[in-house]
Amino acid sequence: MTAPERLRIAGGAVYDPANGVDGVVRDVCIEDGRIVAELPKDAPRLDARGLVVMPGGVDIHAHIAGSSVNHGRRLLAEERAADPAPRPALVDPAEPARSGTGGTVPTTFTTGYRYAGLGYTTVMEAAVAPLAARQAHAELDDTPLVDAGFFMLLGNDDYLLEQIATGESRRARDYAAWLLGAAGAYAIKIVNPGGVACWKAGSRNVAGIDDPVGSSAVTPRKILEVLTDAANALKLPHPAHIHCNNLGQAGNVSTTLDTMRALAGRRAHFTHLQFHSYGGARGKAWKSAARDVIEYVNGHPELSVDVGQVMFGPATTLTADAPVEYLLHARTGRKWVNVDVELETGCGIVPYEYKEKAAVAALQWAVGLELFLLARDPWRVVLSTDHPNGGSFLAYPELVRLLMDRAYRDERLKRVNQKLLAGSALLDGLPREYSLSDIAIVTRAGPARLLGLRHKGHLGLGADADVTIYAKDANAATMFAAPRYVLKAGTIVVRDGQLRRAPAGRRLHVRPEYDAAVTQDVKRHFERFACVSFENYPVGPLADPPVGGGGA
Amino acid sequence: MTPAGERTEHATCLGCGCACDDITVVVRGGTIVEAINACSLGRSWFGDGNVPAEVRSRGRAVPLEQAIGDAATLLGAARRALVYLAPEITSEAQRAAVAIADRLGAALDSPTSEIADGVLATQRRGRAGATLGEIRQRADLIVFWGVDPSVRYPRYTSRYAVDPVGVQAPNGRKSRTVVAVDVGPCRGPDSADERVTLAPREEVDALGAMRAAVLGRATGSPALGRVEDLARRMAQGRYAVIVHDAEPGDPAPDADRSEALVALALALNGPSRCALSSLRAGGNRSGADLVLTWQTGFPMAVDFAPGYPCYRPREGAAVWLARREIDAALVVGSAAGLPAAVAQGLAAVPAVTIGPGASAAPFKLGVAIDTGVAGIHESGTAFRMDDVPLPLRAPLHAIAPPLPALTVVRALAERLAGR
Repeated sequence: MTAPERLRIAGGAVYDPANGVDGVVRDVCIEDGRIVAELPKDAPRLDARGLVVMPGGVDIHAHIAGSSVNHGRRLLAEERAADPAPRPALVDPAEPARSGTGGTVPTTFTTGYRYAGLGYTTVMEAAVAPLAARQAHAELDDTPLVDAGFFMLLGNDDYLLEQIATGESRRARDYAAWLLGAAGAYAIKIVNPGGVACWKAGSRNVAGIDDPVGSSAVTPRKILEVLTDAANALKLPHPAHIHCNNLGQAGNVSTTLDTMRALAGRRAHFTHLQFHSYGGARGKAWKSAARDVIEYVNGHPELSVDVGQVMFGPATTLTADAPVEYLLHARTGRKWVNVDVELETGCGIVPYEYKEKAAVAALQWAVGLELFLLARDPWRVVLSTDHPNGGSFLAYPELVRLLMDRAYRDERLKRVNQKLLAGSALLDGLPREYSLSDIAIVTRAGPARLLGLRHKGHLGLGADADVTIYAKDANAATMFAAPRYVLKAGTIVVRDGQLRRAPAGRRLHVRPEYDAAVTQDVKRHFERFACVSFENYPVGPLADPPVGGGGA
Repeated sequence: MTPAGERTEHATCLGCGCACDDITVVVRGGTIVEAINACSLGRSWFGDGNVPAEVRSRGRAVPLEQAIGDAATLLGAARRALVYLAPEITSEAQRAAVAIADRLGAALDSPTSEIADGVLATQRRGRAGATLGEIRQRADLIVFWGVDPSVRYPRYTSRYAVDPVGVQAPNGRKSRTVVAVDVGPCRGPDSADERVTLAPREEVDALGAMRAAVLGRATGSPALGRVEDLARRMAQGRYAVIVHDAEPGDPAPDADRSEALVALALALNGPSRCALSSLRAGGNRSGADLVLTWQTGFPMAVDFAPGYPCYRPREGAAVWLARREIDAALVVGSAAGLPAAVAQGLAAVPAVTIGPGASAAPFKLGVAIDTGVAGIHESGTAFRMDDVPLPLRAPLHAIAPPLPALTVVRALAERLAGR
């Protein structure tokens, strides 16, 4: 037996909000990739005096792997060409050091390196069609340094909608459970429920949560209820992850609030809320409705959200919400990819740039900040840009600065287009500044808790030794852009700001139990309509055990 | 072994890009005797499964270890190496081969460069697409543009685009209208409900006129009235599909055809829905395109010489070889599946060939390591022409001796890494 790998991170100011630790100077002890209470005096030490120690970052919603992401890479070769990423100088020649390209949708290895370089060690890919799950796993296998899983698209699935149409919600739940295991997915994702099905069927989209989707028995409301209940009944570690109808439309606040009310009392996560918090009316002037939305969230502890902040600069809009991408293509004239995915979902991609002098982009930027600054419970409001939709994950440090530094924020606010900002709480001068502890919550402790990852997002006994160590800086963006050290499962992967190791991450997935009778019915559906064999559909066993143990 | 033979159900055929995964392969005495459900092209692709299993260096049979060492020496000493992903390998082997190209600072390419016009058109404009199964569910008007799939993609119409029942095509073929557009000698299917005939020089103008009609403009050209009518009907239907052959043809199509097709399909999504279905050949060619994209950011013609991937879409392996700038090559996959210009260029370069039939490749003496064929001897992942990933269940996996390409490529990578 080899000697245990030990490390004492000595003398840093520790921010571990899950354990009530707020900037206390103390040691963090690591043995064999986990946090332990104590180590022998002669254990190796990492001098962290004067530095800030936090758990590794946890991204609850980003698009980093899978077929739609790869369509985005392929579409925007010019963006890739403008951002070369040479091989990192790793210390161990046994680890493959890979070059790549970046831009808003980096190649796989570069994605892993850049996340680790920011101090993020866990990432959830937010939208994978189960049909293409195999590709998402292959890409995540080529994304080192982060433990990763993906959410599985289910809100427009033909078999699911058929179960809802015939009132078979129990079977719908069993199907969701079977599909999670078959795809090796982590959570249920709902994107524009029913709307994408309408896009594929020729009726373009739904306008609200009570519009019929094919059958009059099927509405967005019903889809949301059935899948949210399924996720909760299956006791999945993360609840239904919901992208509401009418993303990006003026006046969509009513749809967003309707959706939240429809699910009242149920545990649910609303993603990229910024894109769903607009007042005004469709086709007319936009305005902020952030206050209405976040006040609802504040009053409903069963809900959680991530913000989907817009950051000025280039972005790639990339979503299963195909009808929205058509509208964006029609409005901007930019190039557009659409892929209808058989029996399951859609995919749309349009490159985009958020300009501070553009009225709508400025409004979107302000709405995101309002959500952050008016949120009362940071544990339920996660930092995200819906990478790469609102901007790259590389913009997180700049976003942290906007949250921590009011003077800087007010300065930035003056430079943006003011046309649509009337009524925005930001104009009233929101005084709030996030503390380091708040940042630790919205970037690691909170998302880990919301994802049900009990060993992530904190530095208590038994936690995974994913640790990020920053040098304090008056400019928070500088501080968060280049951590001094990053540890992944106890291994120092970033030292003095340089990437030195690139171990593979683990796969995060679930395998809930279900009534096996459902598979016979699904098989009949496959035989009738699918053109992939039922037997070839599941991805098969994964190397890592499911989160939360066994199941079917 | 039972007299009935060993059966592998749900095998995936890579004989063309349809990647039909409903094949039952029967093996008796280590030989494939039947491929149930396979078309004629598929049956010949599976063959009897007997492939050479030699390991050679400079023309002599050598132990694998020595061959790997010689290959590493040859490639390691190259000033400018080429890594070429030929057909018939798994995506796992493709990923490992791209890693070698990265380490060597090599030029990297695959047969995707043969269809660079089409790839570049989609990179300029985007793409209105659908997976094949979605075409089956939705299409009510299918236009075969200068192609009859029965020749190179025999089960395309029976599995996907025309015959089968779909969610919105309850009566299968009867729920759909099929139009053949014959472009010179490239004819659409005989069974089409309607035909339109175009001379090759008219083709791109016709596509432009169709797009204009969709956008509500008329060219006023009497010659193009027929196609404008077709375009208007496509715009009035529910879900139109345009099927074309993306692979090189004889005669070669107009170089601007791809872009005109892409543009028309995109425009049809204003008034209606439309997908462009681009037919691609088999052997997991689409996998090379996808793997290159996720590892380098580019689908073909990548140059790692600067220390990171650069895109050279107007060049590619054939051009690099013709310029004689390549001094060593690694071909992973079936040398028999190489484009003619690439095969010709490789004849002058010392090559390491790892793949099915490598020992029979007519290259300058280097290293040749025979492997099995992905999907016949080697399991793993391959991609259908529409980028849908499928598992490969190798019917001869446990029986036949040739080494898996993945094992050999990984061994070479380790040797190059000095391990």
